[in-house]
Amino acid sequence: MIELRDVTKRFGTETAVDAISLRVAPGELCALVGTSGCGKSTTLRMINRLIEHDDGRILIDGRPVREFDEQVLRRRIGYAIQSTGLFPHWTVARNIGLVPRLLKWPKPRVEARVEELMTLLGLSREQFAGKYPHQLSGGQAQRVGVARALAADPDILLMDEPFGALDPITRETLQAELRQLQSRLNKTIVFVTHDMDEALALADRLVVMRAGRIVQQGTPLELLREPADEFVASLLGGDDRGLKETAIIRVAERMLPLSPRLLPQARVHRDATLRQALAVMFREHADRLAVVDDQDMAVGELSLRRLVENRREE
Amino acid sequence: MRREAPPPNRVIGLLVLVAGLGWWLLATVSVAPNRIVPGSPLRAHEAAGWPAALALVLALAGLAALTWRPARRRLWLALALATLLLMALPAWLALAATSSVDPSLPQARLGLGAGFWLLLFCLSLMVIELRTRLALGLSAGWLLVAAVVSAWWLASPWLEPLALMREYQGRSDQFAGALVYHLLLVGAAVGASLVVGALIALAMRRHSAIERGAFTLLNFLQTIPSLALFGLLLAPLAWLAANVGWVNALGVRGIGWAPAFLALLGYSLLPMVRNTFVGLSGVEAGVLEAARGMGMSRRQVFLQVRLPLALPVVLEGVRITTVQAIGLAAVAALIGAGGLGTFIFQGLGQAAMDLVLLGALPILAMALAVDSLLGALTRRLDPRMAAGAPA
Repeated sequence: MIELRDVTKRFGTETAVDAISLRVAPGELCALVGTSGCGKSTTLRMINRLIEHDDGRILIDGRPVREFDEQVLRRRIGYAIQSTGLFPHWTVARNIGLVPRLLKWPKPRVEARVEELMTLLGLSREQFAGKYPHQLSGGQAQRVGVARALAADPDILLMDEPFGALDPITRETLQAELRQLQSRLNKTIVFVTHDMDEALALADRLVVMRAGRIVQQGTPLELLREPADEFVASLLGGDDRGLKETAIIRVAERMLPLSPRLLPQARVHRDATLRQALAVMFREHADRLAVVDDQDMAVGELSLRRLVENRREE
Repeated sequence: MRREAPPPNRVIGLLVLVAGLGWWLLATVSVAPNRIVPGSPLRAHEAAGWPAALALVLALAGLAALTWRPARRRLWLALALATLLLMALPAWLALAATSSVDPSLPQARLGLGAGFWLLLFCLSLMVIELRTRLALGLSAGWLLVAAVVSAWWLASPWLEPLALMREYQGRSDQFAGALVYHLLLVGAAVGASLVVGALIALAMRRHSAIERGAFTLLNFLQTIPSLALFGLLLAPLAWLAANVGWVNALGVRGIGWAPAFLALLGYSLLPMVRNTFVGLSGVEAGVLEAARGMGMSRRQVFLQVRLPLALPVVLEGVRITTVQAIGLAAVAALIGAGGLGTFIFQGLGQAAMDLVLLGALPILAMALAVDSLLGALTRRLDPRMAAGAPA
């Protein structure tokens, strides 16, 4: 668990982070969002003490970070950044094994761990272990970056716009992979991004920052439905907020059981989002859809009326 | 189907033309009965007869023909031919020596003329051009150099009448000593500048005030002409030698190795400091942040990340510095520092160009060898170049 209590950071006369308090529960993915310069990266970097906070307390599992030795602290916190920060003169395998080696794991254990992580991140060992970072595509390099952050199996992972430099398609693939990974590994993750769609897609909890302060925090749905002010509303997409909301609700949550009526031709998968269902309706000129499972068997139906109504009872 | 024929290689064609014209029209060698008398110039056919002169023209024509339609196989043949020509040149010189130099005159000598130099130069350029076209690696290049050098070395017993050899034979003891001394002087100056330069660069990274001051000073040092710097060092060193016991005991005098060493060190510092500083400062910020964020200590970050990543740039500084120092050390002969420069200035004084060459050619060879060796080492150390192009 990570806890920030009235944490403040000043650079000269400027207050970058202004008495913020935040609690990230174990296994939670907390996304810090906001415009550039709002203090989100500074907040992240204060957690592993790359930046020292001036006032307040930062606790990890109840223990102030200041009590840890800097290096010991950082070795037990995974860290992934936008530019990947891979060492260009080291191979992929050596890059991934960095923290385990710093922790003086025996060599066979490091090797086994590197192999395990490469498999986990979908990097074939034969193909990539001996490559240098400049030989990788952006997506591959970022996978290696994440693998390196996970190497010593830290409970906490800090990610600073890890997918910011990738093309949209690679970014979405990696987001999906991170979501899957997280459902298996259950790390406590603090994730900084300025891409609102990314934050909505990944976060259990969204923290909106502005000028060094937290403006609002809550689940993505809470923020979409009850933005605290104009700023949060516009950051979340203004009038597009409804669409963004449909993008995080699954069809399965909203569908009705099969009725005796004739099933419509147009169909949508139960794990698709409401947004995708809307798109199918729009494309097929249909106001009712059959909901199907993996075997393409109808398991329910979804009408346009059902899709848009009752949403506040969620 | 007709394949599009590749265009003729114009570089080789031009070089063949220049070499051929030079060979035919200019003096290839000159023969003199002794060291004092200026030699009488001889053209190729006058020096070693028509067959050899024509054979070389034919070979040059062959080179031009092979590269007219430069398919890969023909380029290989052309490379082999050019290399063989370079290897055959000493044999031609030996032939010229036996047919034009009077064996009854022990001091009679064969000087190399413009036509021969031009041919040598053009053939070397052709080999370089062909090596580039064929994209041959560094080891292939060294193999070619080794083949040519060993051919010349094997032919050396028959090349005694060559003026260069005559000059060498008169000074073979001195020559080895001068060569070693030259290398020692350069090695010591570059080694010391590496240590001092690294220390200055590290200090500059700590304090920006030192950074400005040091660069200004080193830039200023670089603008002093070398002879002037030797002169400037003369007085203070002489004073030190006269008044400070341990300095005197070290063998420091106003002239000799001490001012030469100090001047070389001074000139070496700017490129060394600049490259070390730029190399250390130029490491990508994201890499350093990740290194710290992963929990590396300052020492680990420096030794495992910053230093290795700066090393190619630092080595580049060593390369520039060494090549520069090899040349500058020749000038140091003027203040009695010895080295290969001694021959150059002796030769200039006696108007004996071959003696100048005896000093200048090894300096040239050393500079080229160091340049290429350190260049290769730099490329090896840089994984971005060593591991090939991005996938």
